[in-house]
Amino acid sequence: MLLTPEVLAILVLNLLFGLFGAVAFLLSLKIFLKWDADATTPLQYTLEKQSFLAATIIKYIFSVKVPLFAFFVFTLDKISGVITGAMCAAGVVDATQSGMYLIALKIINLYLFASWLKLHSIDMSDKNQPYTKLKFGLFLLFFLSLLLELVLDFRMFGGIEIDKMVSCCGSIYSSSSTSALSTLFKIDNALLLSLFYGNYFLILLFFFLKKKYLFGMLNTLFLPLSLVSLILFFGTYIYELPSHHCPFCFLQADYYYVGYFIYLSLFLGTFHGMMIGFMPKVENGYKISLLFNSLYVILLTLYVLFYYFKNGVLL
Amino acid sequence: MRSRINLYIVEYAINSLLRQKYKTLFIGLVLTLLIFLLSSVFFITNSMKHELQATVDALPEITVQKIKAGRHDEIDVDVIDAILELNGVESAVARVWGYYYFQNAGVNFTLVGIDEYEEQYKKSFVAAASKLDFTKPSMLVGEGVKRVMDANYYKEYFNFIKPDGSLKRVDIGGVFKAETELESNDIILMSKESVREIFDMKENKATDIVVRVANFNEVATIASKIKLLYPDTRVITKDDLKISYQNIFDYKSGIFLALFTTALFAFFIIIYDRASGLSSEQKREIGILKAIGWRVDDVLREKFYEGFVVSLLAYVVGITLALAFVYIFHAPFLREIFSGYSQLKTSFALPFVLDMQTLALLFFLTVPLYIAAIIIPSWRSATLEADEVIR
Repeated sequence: MLLTPEVLAILVLNLLFGLFGAVAFLLSLKIFLKWDADATTPLQYTLEKQSFLAATIIKYIFSVKVPLFAFFVFTLDKISGVITGAMCAAGVVDATQSGMYLIALKIINLYLFASWLKLHSIDMSDKNQPYTKLKFGLFLLFFLSLLLELVLDFRMFGGIEIDKMVSCCGSIYSSSSTSALSTLFKIDNALLLSLFYGNYFLILLFFFLKKKYLFGMLNTLFLPLSLVSLILFFGTYIYELPSHHCPFCFLQADYYYVGYFIYLSLFLGTFHGMMIGFMPKVENGYKISLLFNSLYVILLTLYVLFYYFKNGVLL
Repeated sequence: MRSRINLYIVEYAINSLLRQKYKTLFIGLVLTLLIFLLSSVFFITNSMKHELQATVDALPEITVQKIKAGRHDEIDVDVIDAILELNGVESAVARVWGYYYFQNAGVNFTLVGIDEYEEQYKKSFVAAASKLDFTKPSMLVGEGVKRVMDANYYKEYFNFIKPDGSLKRVDIGGVFKAETELESNDIILMSKESVREIFDMKENKATDIVVRVANFNEVATIASKIKLLYPDTRVITKDDLKISYQNIFDYKSGIFLALFTTALFAFFIIIYDRASGLSSEQKREIGILKAIGWRVDDVLREKFYEGFVVSLLAYVVGITLALAFVYIFHAPFLREIFSGYSQLKTSFALPFVLDMQTLALLFFLTVPLYIAAIIIPSWRSATLEADEVIR
C-alpha cells in the first residue's frame, strides 16, 4: 500500500465522489421511475427540484474528475521513481493487474460524463425537458461505471508493492513483449498511417459536407486509430528513438509535458465530433472538433517533419 | 449551451459575500488556516527532500558495509583491492567515520576521517583537505558543532574521551562549510588516524567502503558483483538511498495527511452547517431573485461563484502565508516534526522549492472539498419557493 500524499488526496476525493455519486444515483433512480412531465402532483414538483441536485452533483464530479485525471497520471509518474524498474507511469500501471483496465475505464468515464453533461445542457435548453428521463436513466449506468473505477482505484493503489520489480515502459511497449499490446506491433506502419491520415481527411471532407452521422462515426474511429498510431509511429519521433513507444513518457518534464496537450486536444476534438453524430439537436461543434483534431494531427506531423529535416532520414 | 461565466453574477456573488461579512470572514479564515498548515508541511518536506537528494547526489554510487550478526561492523580495508579489480569501477575509498556522543551537551557529532593524499569522495572535502593541518591532531568543525563547543568553553581545542577512558586532545583548526548546511552542520573533519584513535579502530579496518562507478548504467551490475564477492556485505546504491528518502518523506507527510483528513472532514461539516443555516433575510433575497426571473440554475451558479471566490482566495492567501512562514521565517515549530530528535538539528536553512505538483495537490485537497460541502445547502436555498419566502 502506498501512503503518499498524492495517493491519499486521490482516495479522499474518490470517497467524496462515491458518496455524492450515491446520492445522485438514488435521486436519479427515483426520477427515472416516477418522472412524468405532465403531472401536477407534489411528487413531480419534488422530483423537479431533486433533478437539479442530481445534475449539480454530476456536474461537480465531472468538473473535478477532468483535472484529477491529469493529476492521477502525474502521480503515477511520481510514484514511478519509487518503484523498482519503473521509469514512468507505464511501469506503475503495469505493477498491478487492474492498472491497465483502470486507465481505460477512466478515459471511458471521462467520455461518458462529458456526454452526459452535453445531453443535460441540451435538455435544459429545451423548455419541455424532453430528455430528463433518458439522462437520469443513463446516469444509473454511468454511476456503476464510476463505482467500478473507484473500486479499481483503491485496489490498484492498495496492491502496489514498492519492493516488487515491475517492467519499464521500454519493455511493455515493444514488439518483443508478450502482452496483448505486442499484437499491435504487427500492424504495418504504412497501412496504419494511411488509415490515420485517410480518416483525418474524411473528417475534413465531412466537415464541409456537414454529414453529422458520418462525422461522428469518423471521430469515434479516429480515437483508437490516433492512440495506436501514437504508440506505434508518432511516439518514436517525439522521443527521437526508434525503439521507444511509451504513451506515458512524453507526459514528463523531459518532453515539456507535451503529452498533456496532445491528449487534451485529442479528447476535445473527438468528443465534440462524437457529440455531433450521436446527440440530438447538436449543430455547432463542427469547428471545435475540427480545430482540435487538426491541432493533434499537425502537431504530431510536425514532430516527424522536424525529425526528417534535422536528420535527413526517417526512423 | 456551453456555460460561460456570467460576470454580472460574479459581481453579484462578490457583493453578496461582502454583505455577509462575518460569515464569509469566519469560513475564509478557517479555510485559510487549514490550507496554510497543510501547505507549510508540504513545503517543509519538499525542501528537506530536495536538500537530502542534493546530498545524496554528491555521494559515490555504491556504499559497501560489512554486516555481522545482522549489525553493521567494521570492514577490512583489503576489500578495496578486490573491488578495484572489477571492470567499470573508477575508484574505491575506505571511509572512517562514526558518531561521537558529547555528554555535556547531549549531542552526537559525526566524526569523519580524511586523508591528505587520497581522492576525496565528496567535493566539499577537497577544499577541507587542503585546509586541514595533517601534521598535528587538528580538526575542522561544522557550524553547529562550533556553536556547541563554544557554549561549552572549548574554543581552541576539544578533548575526546577514548574507549579506554583516556583523553585525546584535538585542536580546532577552522570551520567546515559545505553546499548544504544539512550536510555540514554536525560534522567534524579530521585525519583518519585521529578518528581511528578516538574510536579505537585498527589500522586495517574501516567503517565502510564507497565505490565510484564511471558509467551510471553499470551500477547495478557492479553492485551485484560486489555482493557475490563478499556475501557478508550490504551493498547500497545511490538509487536505493534516494528511494528510501522519498519513501521516508512520503510516509511522514502521508501520516500527517491521514491524520489531517479528520480535520478536513470536520471542516466539511462546519461548512455544510454554515451554508445550511439561512437567515430569513437571505431567504427573502433568494425569493426576490426568483420572483424577478432568476432560474434555479442561476441561483445555484451564484452560490458556486461565491464558493469559488472564497476557496480560491483562501487557497492563494493560505499558500502565500505558508511560503512566507516556511521560507522567510524558517517554519518555527512545524519543522521540528521532520528534522529528527538530535540536539544538533536546529539551524539548517530550507532551500526554496516550489513545484506545480505540490500546488495541484493542495488544490485538490481543499477547493473541491469546499465546493462539495456547499452543493446540498446551495441546492436547498436555490429551490426555495419564491412565494413562500417572500410572504
